[in-house]
Amino acid sequence: MTDSADLERRYSRLLVWYPAAFRHEHEAEMLGVLMDSARDGQHRVGLADTTNLVRAALTMRLRAPAAAPRTVIAAVRLMYAGAAVSLACWISTVVTEPSVRSAMVRAVAARWPLMLVHITAVEALLPVIVVGWLWLAWANGRGHHGARIALVAYFSLITLVLPWMLGIGAAVYAPADLISMAVLWLIQLSAIALIFNKRSEHYYRPAEAS
Amino acid sequence: MQETTFLILTALADTSQHGYGIMTAVGEISHGRVRMRAGTLYAALDRLSQEGLVAIDREEIVGNRLRRYYKLTAAGTKQLAAEATRLHANAIAALSRLKLAEGMAT
Repeated sequence: MTDSADLERRYSRLLVWYPAAFRHEHEAEMLGVLMDSARDGQHRVGLADTTNLVRAALTMRLRAPAAAPRTVIAAVRLMYAGAAVSLACWISTVVTEPSVRSAMVRAVAARWPLMLVHITAVEALLPVIVVGWLWLAWANGRGHHGARIALVAYFSLITLVLPWMLGIGAAVYAPADLISMAVLWLIQLSAIALIFNKRSEHYYRPAEAS
Repeated sequence: MQETTFLILTALADTSQHGYGIMTAVGEISHGRVRMRAGTLYAALDRLSQEGLVAIDREEIVGNRLRRYYKLTAAGTKQLAAEATRLHANAIAALSRLKLAEGMAT
């Protein structure tokens, strides 16, 4: 296989990251541009090109269509921020777990089983929650009515969990965790205000019509 | 308007261009400061097409490869002109104030 055919095959493999409809319409054209931009004798895709293609493909998959009202686009950005906060929260919980556990025992020793439930739940559930935020952003960006309802349900859950966390003394043994939950609650509240705004209303359609 | 969008629309201002042509033109317009990659270009073209600012002009087959040419639409021309006028007015204001500042310092 020649260098050129080899390189084209590698580029072609990277284009799989793009949405199918886009690939169907633009794959041949994009491959031409990528091959035109390649250096003589190049047979591998550089790191910068790989990163650029994957990032652009993910952006295209995740961003709201241009037809979405500004209120929905703003809400979708907030939901991606929610995913980022949840991810940061998960990383910080995993990294600081030993110190949080010892702080738990020192702070409110009698309630340590509840706190253990809290920390374990955070560690196990946050990756799922990150994916949940990404789905909420994607589906709300495409005007799925069910995604609006899902965000309200998630908001209600966090509204119940926050006082429970305060009750078991999270402010003492895991203040960062409590603050991130409060930030997530505010993000949800703002996103709900945006997607239930009058300007967003026409964009959402009943689930049975979608 | 983001700089990437501004540069792509500027590259298409006087003639239709294919993808590689746009990337080369963006490099020339920015005096080599911006090196646009294919991923960035096609994500931007997809968005600009959805917004009705660019459209496909024609297609050609060159050396067994598809070349698709893009052009500015009337809305794209209008938006680019408005943005260029805004940036020009800002630049004039900045330069004028800088001259004033130099005058006061000497």
